[in-house]
Amino acid sequence: MVISLLQSLKLHKDKLWSIDCAKGLAATASSDRKIKLINLRNSDFKELEELDDNTHKKSVRSVCFRPHSSILAAGSFDSTISIWGKEENDDLQGTYQETEPLAIIEGHENEVKSVAWSHSGDFLASCSRDKSVWIWEADEMGEEFECLSVLQEHTQDVKHVVWHPLVNLLASSSYDDTIRLWKEEEDDWECAAVLNGHEGTVWCSDFETSESSLRLVSCSDDSSVRVWKHVEDGEDGEDVWAQESVLPQVHTRAVYCVSWSPDGYIASTGSDGILAVYKENEQGKWEVVAQQTEAHGVFEVNVVKWTKVGGKTLLLSGADDGSVNIWSFSF
Amino acid sequence: MSEFINENPDVLDENLLPSRFKDKTDIILDNDLKAENLQRRMQLFSIHQNSDCQVYRSIELVDRLLAQEEVLSKNDAPELTDAETEEDDDESEESEDPIDAQEIYDLIAYISDPEHPLTLGQLAVVNLIDIEVRENPDKTKISEVLVKITPTITHCSLATLIGLGIRVRLERALPARYRITILLKQGSHQSENQVNKQLNDKERIAAACENDQLLGVVSKMLTTCK
Repeated sequence: MVISLLQSLKLHKDKLWSIDCAKGLAATASSDRKIKLINLRNSDFKELEELDDNTHKKSVRSVCFRPHSSILAAGSFDSTISIWGKEENDDLQGTYQETEPLAIIEGHENEVKSVAWSHSGDFLASCSRDKSVWIWEADEMGEEFECLSVLQEHTQDVKHVVWHPLVNLLASSSYDDTIRLWKEEEDDWECAAVLNGHEGTVWCSDFETSESSLRLVSCSDDSSVRVWKHVEDGEDGEDVWAQESVLPQVHTRAVYCVSWSPDGYIASTGSDGILAVYKENEQGKWEVVAQQTEAHGVFEVNVVKWTKVGGKTLLLSGADDGSVNIWSFSF
Repeated sequence: MSEFINENPDVLDENLLPSRFKDKTDIILDNDLKAENLQRRMQLFSIHQNSDCQVYRSIELVDRLLAQEEVLSKNDAPELTDAETEEDDDESEESEDPIDAQEIYDLIAYISDPEHPLTLGQLAVVNLIDIEVRENPDKTKISEVLVKITPTITHCSLATLIGLGIRVRLERALPARYRITILLKQGSHQSENQVNKQLNDKERIAAACENDQLLGVVSKMLTTCK
């Protein structure tokens, strides 16, 4: 398997923290307070739009597209979440319509670190340095948000939230070194499991896209990447999860991001600037199939994200110098 | 509370701090209580006594700053002048030579202690022997800098603030290929692991640097840098 760099875009003036992809688009979030959209459909990967940069007063830390719509959510260190979309206007059909702010959600006490939409687009989850995870229910327009639950079991900052791609199961990663899984039980959101094992801040996690098994990959300041699996449903809504494997050691410093592709590949990246791709040979046995050192020169890489555009698999990465790299694979 | 290893430091004269331009044998900092050292120690003691109130006010201030949740008005936020930023940019572009511990020391030893009217070098919070540089000769690859600090006070917020000051100074001055790790010297602080974790959490540092009040305090600490 060979990684090759298709395009490198210097998009932002400061750290690029987050990338999300959907429908041939990529959105990026940066410490320069800007959110940008890139077109992935053409091979020149041009910047499409820069969203109104007066919306956030501090770094934009996280972006996430709402499934089945053109709505985007962004979380910022200014403690707010912004919602973006395109207004329906038949007169403007055929021309490119600018993305407009639809709503600002307040509630967190301080820096919002991550936002994530559930697979159906019904729920938005957010997390913050205030140690809480909030679950919001959104209306179809993306203008009204009702807070369904504030989950406060983490004992430290919550760094990242992600939903399962097929079911309503949420994972949150924390500075308290644990991952918590959350599910809905009789109209209330409850902690279904706590995953202990990492020996440092858990920076990010991602679910496998599978109907037959429930698995999660996580990465940490302890420089490891681990896969966890659901073993059985326990009593009282508590599920039994166990660590299935520690992926082959590639990283020498904190691992900031992992992404599990729908094809089953895992990618990881972090402070050492290495981009690694792992493949599972048999259940629980992983090997490194591709490795790119200095993926963004000497800069720390904060985010990696798989996407599929026109049947082609792409990997996007973003770094401290504000650049996005778009990689392709030959399997 | 147990004993802390740098609780009542000898205040070193700036001329006695380790420097590249002197014979290293001149800088032996022995523990003998020579008249000179004794005098310095007494000086420090008097500073401690006289500035007691100020010290506690400072601690309170820092506590408040670190605990604050609200976005503060920018009216009274001291910002770095452009001149200062430009100067640092020049510095990072010009530094072609490999960087050694002495160079790191020179960058951070003249940072003011937030609590005393003295520098981190003078208070032996920063020591040349506690700086390690793992230089990769290939400049397209990452190199590492490790700084161990010995706070004079066991108070959590102040140790964090000193660490933040050192990190901000080094991040501005060093080329991007350097990964900076700042740790408390073992046994120097009551909540060592917590402070270490915080000082090396990239996201928390980034957020702290967007807090105008906190950045103001840090900028003040950095004004004495040479």
